[in-house]
Amino acid sequence: MINFGVREVAISTVPVAPGWAYVPDTGSAASASQPSARKRMRTLPSASQHETTAKQDAKIMRELAALDRENHRDVSIPVPIRHRDNAGRASHGKVTPAVRKILQSQKTFANHLADYEALSAINASQPAQPNPPPPLTSGRATPTTAGPQPPVGTKRSYKKRESAATAPTPLRNVSTVGESSTPVVSKSESSHDTSMTDAPNTLLGTAVPPASHPEDNNPLLISRVPQMPSQEEIEKMLAAPALSYNEARGSLTAEDRRKPAKHFCDVCGYWGRVRCGRCGGRVCALECLALHQEECFTRYGA
Amino acid sequence: MAPRRTKSSGPVPPSRTLVIDNGAYTMKAGFSSPTASSTASVIPNCMARDREKHVYVGSQLEKCRDFGDIVFRRPVEKGYLVNWEAEKEIWDHEFFEDKAPLHCDPRETGLLLTEAPNALPQLQTNCDQIVFEEFGFASYLRCPGPMLNAYNDIQAMFKAPARDAAQSLLPAEIILLIDSGYSHTTITPLLQGRPVQSAVRRLDVGGKLLTNHLTRLLSLRQYDMRNDTYLVNEIKEACCYVSRDFKADMEATWKGPKGDRREIYETGGGIAKDYVLPDYHKRTKGEVRDHDPDVAGKLKKMQSGKGPEVAEDIVTLRNERFTVPELLFSPQDIGMRQSGIAQLVLESLSEIPFGLWPGFLANIIVVGGNANIEGFLWRLQVEIQALAPTECIVRVVRPADPIVSTWNGGAELAKEVDLLSKMSVTKQEYDEFGAGWVARKFGGDPNWKW
Repeated sequence: MINFGVREVAISTVPVAPGWAYVPDTGSAASASQPSARKRMRTLPSASQHETTAKQDAKIMRELAALDRENHRDVSIPVPIRHRDNAGRASHGKVTPAVRKILQSQKTFANHLADYEALSAINASQPAQPNPPPPLTSGRATPTTAGPQPPVGTKRSYKKRESAATAPTPLRNVSTVGESSTPVVSKSESSHDTSMTDAPNTLLGTAVPPASHPEDNNPLLISRVPQMPSQEEIEKMLAAPALSYNEARGSLTAEDRRKPAKHFCDVCGYWGRVRCGRCGGRVCALECLALHQEECFTRYGA
Repeated sequence: MAPRRTKSSGPVPPSRTLVIDNGAYTMKAGFSSPTASSTASVIPNCMARDREKHVYVGSQLEKCRDFGDIVFRRPVEKGYLVNWEAEKEIWDHEFFEDKAPLHCDPRETGLLLTEAPNALPQLQTNCDQIVFEEFGFASYLRCPGPMLNAYNDIQAMFKAPARDAAQSLLPAEIILLIDSGYSHTTITPLLQGRPVQSAVRRLDVGGKLLTNHLTRLLSLRQYDMRNDTYLVNEIKEACCYVSRDFKADMEATWKGPKGDRREIYETGGGIAKDYVLPDYHKRTKGEVRDHDPDVAGKLKKMQSGKGPEVAEDIVTLRNERFTVPELLFSPQDIGMRQSGIAQLVLESLSEIPFGLWPGFLANIIVVGGNANIEGFLWRLQVEIQALAPTECIVRVVRPADPIVSTWNGGAELAKEVDLLSKMSVTKQEYDEFGAGWVARKFGGDPNWKW
C-alpha cells in the first residue's frame, strides 16, 4: 500500500497483546472508521476491524457446504440388481425413450438449478418474450389511512365469526340467497378452469354490520382496520405465477443486517469473547483459548 | 385451442387415490377414497447401506438393527424429486411389486403427489412424464405440499368447534403455512387453498442442516460422529429444544472461567442431558437421561479397572441442546446470509395487501418434522408478535401430527371426487394434449384459457 510517506501512529486503544485480544462487539459500524495499516495487519491479523476476512468467508462457505451434505463421505449406492427372471419385479410395460433418459440421468439438484439459471439468462436476453404479468401492487395501507368504511364496530372483522364452513366471512362470501351454497360445485359448469379456482369470492364486506351505538363516532373508540383488498386484487394476487427457486429464497433483512453478529466459542459454544490472535477464531476464555491454540498453532498455513 | 370437453363424457374417475407426500426424509403414502380412508404410512424415502454392505430400500430400513456407519442415498434433494432411478426403485418396492406393502395397479388408481413450492420446471416435467409414461396412473394431480393443509380441519386446531362433516369440503380461507422439513423451511400464505405464489419464501434451514450442525459440534467436542448422522438425528430429536431465553440458558451451561468451575455447570442446571449411545450389540436404541455429574468420573474408573461390559458411552449435551434449533431463528449464527423464520414471515407478508395481514397472522400453522421440536411454537409466536403490528393477534399452532398433516389434507381432498377430478389430469388428457399442457395446467399459468 502506498501511503505517500505518511507513517501511521497507533491511535487505537486496543492493546497489542501477543496471542489474544478482547474485542468490543461494536458491529460493522466501527469497521469503516479504522484505517487499515499493513503493519498492524501483520501483528494483529485477526483484530483487523473488518467483520470477516476473505479467509473467514471462505471458511464459512466451506462449512455451510459441509452442513448441506447427505453423508460425511462420498458414497454411491447403486440400485440393487435383481435376477433376470423379474421375480416380483413390477413391470410397467415398454420404457419410452424420454423415460429412459430421465431414469438414467445422474444430474443433481445443483446441475438442474444451473441449467435453469442458464436457460433463464438466455430467455432474458431475448426480448421477444410475452410480458410477465405486472408486479403486484401490495397495497400496504397503514392503519391510519384506512379508506372509507363503516366506523361501526369494525374491529369485529378480524375476529372469527363462525366456524361453519358456509358462514359468510370477509373472504368467503357465501351469499345467503342460496344460489351458491356450495361454491365449489356451482362453478363447475361455467369453466373447467385451472387447478384451483374454486370458491368465487365475490363481494367483500357484505356481512351485516352490528347495530349502531351512540358512541360509534367517538374518535377515541373508533378502531381502524386496514381496508380489505378488492376482489380483483385478490384474484390478481392468486393468479401470479410461481417464483423461481432463487427468487423464493428468503433474504437477510435490513434489520438483521444492522444487528451485531453473534460469535460463539469455537471450543465450547459459549459466547466468543476472545479472539485468537493467530487465526481470528473466537473462544470464550483462556482455558478454551489454550485448547484452541494447541490445534491452531500446529495447523499448517493457519 | 383444446376442444371443450365436459367432465361427464370423460372416463370414470378411479375408485381410489394414492396420496403421496414425497418428502426428502420420509414419504407419507396411503390410499384415500370417498368410502374408506386409511392412515398414512411413513416410509423412509431413501436407500441405505449398512457396514455389512447390505442395501435397504424404503420401508426395509425398519429391519435394520445396526445403524453404525450407515450411508444414505436420497432421491429427493433439497425438497425436490431429482433422482428418478432411486425413486422408482423405492416406489416399485412400496407400491407396485407383488409383495409391496401398499400394492396397487396404477392403471386403476389416481395419484396425488406433492412437491415443494418453487420447483424447477424441468423437474416437474420429468415427474409428469414418469408418472404417465412409466407408471401410467389413471389420473394425476401434482401440487405444492403446503396447499393440501388447507383441506384439514383448521378450526379444530385452534380449539374452535370442529367443522360440520355434512358440509361439502371447502379449503380453509386464510392460513399462513410454515412447512419446516428436512431440506428447508417454506412459508406459504394460502387463500382459500390457493398459494399466494409471490409471497412464498424459503429458509434454507431444515432438519438435515440441524443434524449436520449437531454432528459437527459433537465431533469437535466429544466423539467423532461424522459417520453416524442417523444416530445424531436421533439425539437431536430426543434432546434438542428451542430456548425461551437464549442468553440465560447460555449462562447456565457455561463452565466458568479457568479455575472457577461453576456449580451449575457440574449439576447441569436443568439443561444438561446425558445421551447413552447405542452400541448395536446389547443396546440398539439410545436413551436420554438427566445429567449425572458422577457418571463421567465413574466411566473413567470403569475403563481403567473393570471390564468393558459395564461401560456405556455417554454424550453430554449442554448448549448443543438449544444452539442447534436456534439456527431456525437466527441462521446468521453459522454465517448464513438469511434471516430467521419470524423475519421471513414478515417478508412474505410484505407482498400481501395490508388488509389481509390480520387474517394471516391469526392463522399460522406449522407442519413438518421440526414443528415437533420442543418450544418451537412458543418462540415463533413470540418472535412474530414482536415484529407484527401490535393490533394484530398472532396465533401459531401445529396439527396433532405435523409430519403427516400434509398427507391428511391430501386424503381429505381425495375424498371429494368431483373437486379432485377437476384439478387432476387424466392419462387420456395427457396422451392427447401432451406434457406441456399438463405443466401449464398444474403451473396455474395466468394466461391459461380453455
